[in-house]
Amino acid sequence: MPLGNVVEVHDLVKFFGDVRAVDGVSFSVRRGEIYGLLGPNGAGKTTTIRMTIGIVTPDRGEAYIMGYNVHKEPVKARSFIGVVPEISNPYVDLTVWENLMLVGEIYCVPKRIRVKRAKNLLKMLKIYEARNRKAKVLSKGMRRRLLLAMALMGDPDILFLDEPTSGLDVISARMIRSHLLELKEQGKTIILTTHNIDEAGMLCDRVAIMNRGKVIARGTPEEFKIRFGEYARILLCFDREIDAKLIRKHFDSYEVIVQGRRLAIICRSKDLRDVLEQIVQVTNEYSLSIEELRASGLNFEDIFVRLVEGLG
Amino acid sequence: MRRLQFLYRIWVLCLKDMKLYYFKGPTIVMGILMPLFVWLAFVAGRGFSFTESLPALITLASFFASSSITPIVMPWEARQKSLEMLLSKPVTIYIVLLGTALASSIFGIFISSVLVTIGLLLNVIPRDLISLALGIAVSSLCYSFMGLVFSAIPSDVPADAVMLSSAVRLPLIFVSGIFIPVHSLPHYVKPLAFISPLTYFSDLIKNAYGYSSLLSPSIDVIALLLLTIIFAALALAANKRTLTRRL
Repeated sequence: MPLGNVVEVHDLVKFFGDVRAVDGVSFSVRRGEIYGLLGPNGAGKTTTIRMTIGIVTPDRGEAYIMGYNVHKEPVKARSFIGVVPEISNPYVDLTVWENLMLVGEIYCVPKRIRVKRAKNLLKMLKIYEARNRKAKVLSKGMRRRLLLAMALMGDPDILFLDEPTSGLDVISARMIRSHLLELKEQGKTIILTTHNIDEAGMLCDRVAIMNRGKVIARGTPEEFKIRFGEYARILLCFDREIDAKLIRKHFDSYEVIVQGRRLAIICRSKDLRDVLEQIVQVTNEYSLSIEELRASGLNFEDIFVRLVEGLG
Repeated sequence: MRRLQFLYRIWVLCLKDMKLYYFKGPTIVMGILMPLFVWLAFVAGRGFSFTESLPALITLASFFASSSITPIVMPWEARQKSLEMLLSKPVTIYIVLLGTALASSIFGIFISSVLVTIGLLLNVIPRDLISLALGIAVSSLCYSFMGLVFSAIPSDVPADAVMLSSAVRLPLIFVSGIFIPVHSLPHYVKPLAFISPLTYFSDLIKNAYGYSSLLSPSIDVIALLLLTIIFAALALAANKRTLTRRL
């Protein structure tokens, strides 16, 4: 394992029946970085994470955490990690405090440290007041924060988070994101899966984009933006609703998104002049007025869509 | 150190299961009420004294109580979505299952001990307390692993596991010499009696209370130990096999 890599994944393959859910996924994560596995639903992110932490056995390939093979030494490997699975719950019939104590005991944390750590985590995640409530009465956002606290009870070096903000309201999601950045500052390594492009762009130092079980691209969000720098996105807002079919006919050689009065066109920068000329033509032909026009580089979402749809 | 941590984690998970599952509906119904009613159905109105029927009650109570928790824990935790959270901690599926088996055995031992104590208070004194204690301990472990085999069905509905385990447990009562002596069973049922752990425990208890028994206590204990190993191996392998489908 190269120096500085805390997680190494080699050629993971997993079949579910005839379906190849994960197809030769490899990646490595450096100490202290936030690494994102990005992809649409069904891309194989969760199965990849489950194999990486050793709770699903791969049909081929290996995963190492801090140099320990997760399938040969699962307990040792998992003693370095904290995990927040995507669809999971604390023990709903135990209180917040009991859940934390249970996890602390599983990590073999001495009682004095366990109590102190639990208090600190609950305060940091703003659920200290709810410590004596049963987990079943917590809101979804509070449960998610409790799961994060449980993942941190063993003071792990590495955190795995599967869709950490999925299904949360904006405020709870923002709170989780800000905690993740705090944890990064504390030196934790974080591996997260998400289908939220903005989240990945905001949090991750590096990302691997997955689709249909394969990693189709990898790099930093900035590298992706540079790689797709030759593309431009034009955003228009007309004075009235436009006919999507007609508009698409005029711009059939470009990627076009029509939504009510709004139109987005993605094209190469060198074609920008042609596109603008066509916009003027369309505007005259249909007696439209342009209320807003903006041109910019591609955002991370555009890049992601192009990669997943094989356009990049 | 590693071995100590292994044992400590089993104990921690055992305590968790005790706290979470001892008072669940299926545990109370299948672990306490069921043996009581089966016993009453056999002894009520048939002229048996409490002294005569206590060994049967202990046998039934130990069997049902010890095998009432293990079938439901895995499906329950899969349904509650807490199983993946637990397995992502520094434990293996074996540690989780051993914790559950231990919690279930302790439940069986506790219920049986209460009955033995009631017997003592009513002056029903066992002749061989050591083999009684050993029998209760080993058979409880054996039954709890047997229950764990049923928990391997890849379902997150606890009732499915309870139904399957009942389908096996109920017939065992009739072929294990609790109420009908093994030598009186039809010849085609007798082989079943000898693969049932209940036969050896029932025999051991009868012997401990001074009634005639089929085998010597040491053979009964050895048979129970062998069946415990077989059920444990089956339970661990089966649960590991179906784990991915539960997540």
